[in-house]
Amino acid sequence: MSQLLSAFGIDWHLLLAQAVNFGIVLIALWYFLYKPVLAMLAKRQELVAKGVEDAGRASEMLAGADSEANSRITAAEGEAEGIVAAARETATAEKTRLLQEAEERAAAVARDAEARAAETAAKAKRESEREVARLAILAVEKILKKNYD
Amino acid sequence: MESGISVVLKAEQLGSVFGFPITNSLIMAWLVMALLIGFAYFFGRSLKLVPGKLQAGIEWAFEGAIAYMAGVLESEKLARRFFPLVASIFLFVAVINEIEFFPGVGSLGIWHASEFLPILRAPTTDLNFTLALAAIAFFTIEITGIAMLGFFKYVGKYVNLKSPVGFVVGLIELISNLGRLVSFSFRLFGNIFAGEVMVLVAAYFLPYVLPAPLMGFEMFIGLVQALVFAMLTLFFIKLAIVDPHEAH
Repeated sequence: MSQLLSAFGIDWHLLLAQAVNFGIVLIALWYFLYKPVLAMLAKRQELVAKGVEDAGRASEMLAGADSEANSRITAAEGEAEGIVAAARETATAEKTRLLQEAEERAAAVARDAEARAAETAAKAKRESEREVARLAILAVEKILKKNYD
Repeated sequence: MESGISVVLKAEQLGSVFGFPITNSLIMAWLVMALLIGFAYFFGRSLKLVPGKLQAGIEWAFEGAIAYMAGVLESEKLARRFFPLVASIFLFVAVINEIEFFPGVGSLGIWHASEFLPILRAPTTDLNFTLALAAIAFFTIEITGIAMLGFFKYVGKYVNLKSPVGFVVGLIELISNLGRLVSFSFRLFGNIFAGEVMVLVAAYFLPYVLPAPLMGFEMFIGLVQALVFAMLTLFFIKLAIVDPHEAH
């Protein structure tokens, strides 16, 4: 056994030294290479996942915004229709009121004219009656004068 | 020396510090460590949210490896826990095996008492390194098994007194488990060392022509062996955490 060991140059000092060498390589590579590279991979994976999530959220928000805009447009259209209908109604009412007022005023004017005509006729009648009476008196006077003269 | 092929089974000792032997494979292990840690340090600091080609490639490899491990271990959490170990085994062994064929490794050296001692030697061709790595993998596997199943349940996998057949099966399991230490270390050592010897022999018989394609092939083998070591560690971890009653 010892011959075999010496033929291959086995020496516990060297065995230990090579084991320590490997240990140093393992620790150094772990610290300087594996850890940062794996951390970088994890970071990138996280970023990609976040990007995908953000994109999903953005498209969701876009869809939300679309439906919001649609509902607002629908509401605005409804409101506009309401406003137009109300305006039309108001206009109709106003028209009716104005017509009625105009009719009333025309009737009043007609009534007024009628009254004035009646008054004028009555006045004329009274004046002619007075004239007739005066003429009658005058005629009577003339007759009487003639008779007494 | 000048005209023959010299194959040295063990790593050459270049000196010692306070009685601690310094071998050429140890020096190359430090060199590869410096390369890996330096790269990791500068790469880790230059990470960007929008990655460049290198970063994208490395991230792709990490994600793929973790996904594969999660498939094998049937748990994302366990995959993330064992990823550093498995990835470090692969990277360390793979870089060593690739650097091995760079100019200067094995060819630059010093003459000591009329003997040529290369300054750099791939640690995967030194049993000390492969055995140390095998021991780390072995203990990780056993400790994981005990931590996940509990001590008595895990030991119950190997010591089964309910039936004679069960006892023998448990014993075989125990031996094969211990045998992993040997198989892990000698597989890597044997493959890489044999590749080096083959290139050496090729250079002796047909220099300038044959070694280059063989070196390319051996670089491929080096990657495969790194993958094999890492994958076997992963599979044995999986075997260790499987409930013995579920497995049957």
